[in-house]
Amino acid sequence: MNRPLALALFLVVLVSPLAAQDEMTIVLHFTPDRENGRQVYDICARCHLPEAWGTEDGTYPQLAGQHRGVLLKQLLDIREGRRRSPLMRPFVQPRILGGYQNLVDVVTYIQQLPMNPAHGKGPWPAPTREYTQGQQLYQDNCAACHGSQGEGNDERRIPRLQGQHYAYMRRQAIAAKRGLRQVDPGMSAVIRRLSDEQLALALNYVSRIAVPKQDLAPSVSWRNPDFSEVKQ
Amino acid sequence: MPPALARLLRKADLPEPKGPRVVIVGGGWSGLSMAKYLRLQNPGFDVVLIDRQPAFLSFPLSNAWLADQVNMEFLSHSFFEAANRHGYRFVQASVLGFDRTSRKVFTDTGIIAYDYLVLAPGIEYDYSQIGIEDPVIQEQLYHRYPGGFFSSSELLTIKRKIQAFRRGTFLLTVPSGDYRCSAAPYERACVMAALFRRRGIRGKILILDMNNEITIMKDAFERAFHELYGDLIDYQPSSLLAGLDLEKRTIETEFDEFTFDDAIIYPPIRASRLLEEAGIADPHSTQKTARTDPFRYHLVDDERVYVTGDSRSQPFSKGGHTANSEAQYVAEVITAHALGREVEWRSPQTMCFSTVAIDPLRAMSHITYYRYDEATKDFAFDRIHSVEKWDVTGGQASIAWAEGMFRDMFYE
Repeated sequence: MNRPLALALFLVVLVSPLAAQDEMTIVLHFTPDRENGRQVYDICARCHLPEAWGTEDGTYPQLAGQHRGVLLKQLLDIREGRRRSPLMRPFVQPRILGGYQNLVDVVTYIQQLPMNPAHGKGPWPAPTREYTQGQQLYQDNCAACHGSQGEGNDERRIPRLQGQHYAYMRRQAIAAKRGLRQVDPGMSAVIRRLSDEQLALALNYVSRIAVPKQDLAPSVSWRNPDFSEVKQ
Repeated sequence: MPPALARLLRKADLPEPKGPRVVIVGGGWSGLSMAKYLRLQNPGFDVVLIDRQPAFLSFPLSNAWLADQVNMEFLSHSFFEAANRHGYRFVQASVLGFDRTSRKVFTDTGIIAYDYLVLAPGIEYDYSQIGIEDPVIQEQLYHRYPGGFFSSSELLTIKRKIQAFRRGTFLLTVPSGDYRCSAAPYERACVMAALFRRRGIRGKILILDMNNEITIMKDAFERAFHELYGDLIDYQPSSLLAGLDLEKRTIETEFDEFTFDDAIIYPPIRASRLLEEAGIADPHSTQKTARTDPFRYHLVDDERVYVTGDSRSQPFSKGGHTANSEAQYVAEVITAHALGREVEWRSPQTMCFSTVAIDPLRAMSHITYYRYDEATKDFAFDRIHSVEKWDVTGGQASIAWAEGMFRDMFYE
């Protein structure tokens, strides 16, 4: 698991507000250190909780089990203001979270955490008509990038949707559609093509794809033993 | 008509609204967050935020300021900047009342019509809950020994008191009920003890807690009181106040009498009197809160009027983080009402950092989520994550948290 992680930094240089943005990409390689990752995660756990399972109502996403590349991209996007999250932004600054090694370590730690065995699902179980419609919409519009099982892609920094809370995905999709969250142009095009109802159907389907058992915690009452020294 | 009255009855100087107007009463953590997220959720809203103060001063992190760990600039922010950044209007005025039939808010700079009204006027002290009914004595008590949770002058007074204290007993009280910022009185005792230690003062901080025990992070605060400040802090639980003599500086509890040299008296609190004066307060509620829909926040008989922040009716812990996370959701509720959409209920969260030691700042943290309990038909604590160890990581996190909140409300 401790294979090196490539860290791509997109440095955005703004000459003037009217000038085009010049992007510069540097790729660096780090070997992750899980124990340091656990220590770095301490500050994240204050809000995201030691299990990183998020909340069913979609206020917090499930981070556990997410691809390292995806987590890293979010941290850097928030750090640089490309993903708007004023509340989290100070926490991801080098003065708090540390340098690039710490970023690599913390995402490695989060990725290997067992996932929530009871994440929030959409309202339509199989074999309702809505479920089947959503399946079709998902396969036609989302599967090419996010994978037929919603598994995402670490290398390409495409989020794993499998196991993500339905309410979180729905709020993010709608935020992207209304221009409140920046996403890549391909994703943006798909989201704009689908109606709010179609998005809900597709996300209902993906929220009901089973997460491989080996990725799940044994029960919802599982508590992260790495944080057992603090009262919970 | 006397000119003073004419001024009250004219229209306030505001441009004609370009869309449905939402008037927000109170520019605290709830109102500021609400104004921002209403504009973000629906750029068609014309949002007006009213506060009687000329500038914003944060109460969260004020204990760190009392202990010289952050400066005043960190805590103070401009309403103009927030309004300019997020595209709403700030009106510095006192709200005198409102009329729900004609949908008008009456202020000391004129009348403002609304399509939606958000009441986020916060709390007031309720000295009557500790048996002090005479308004003259209430005012004396408030001015001499302010609690530090209502107006910014209180904080300035408290800092001067701490700086001027040389010897004797410094009294702090902790109110009963759902008071604003559960950890703050205990945190304040810790930072005061740390300051006394720094200055070599051999005084005593007497905490009279109206509760039977420390209300939050009990074990950790007990440990801090004993291990760090055993020579300075005297903690007395179950101390219901039975009498107070301002001239002799004595305070009586059920079993004891104490004399003090200076004090910070934090009495129980209630919702802003604005609710009661407008006839929307439930007279049977302890804190004189309004009858509202617990999930949608509007008055039970009026979907145009919402009550949020520390004057809300729900029993969530009162404080800045609760108000901010709640406002993000309520902004979606109001948007959904205006645009004919649906929105699912989401729990607010209460994030709370507590400074225990200074130089460098060391803090604990505590986060609470809520859920609705169908059996009791009320809200209950859901998941709680308490980091009951004070360390530099916690101290840094507390500052990063406040910075994030200020960015959210004022700058981003």
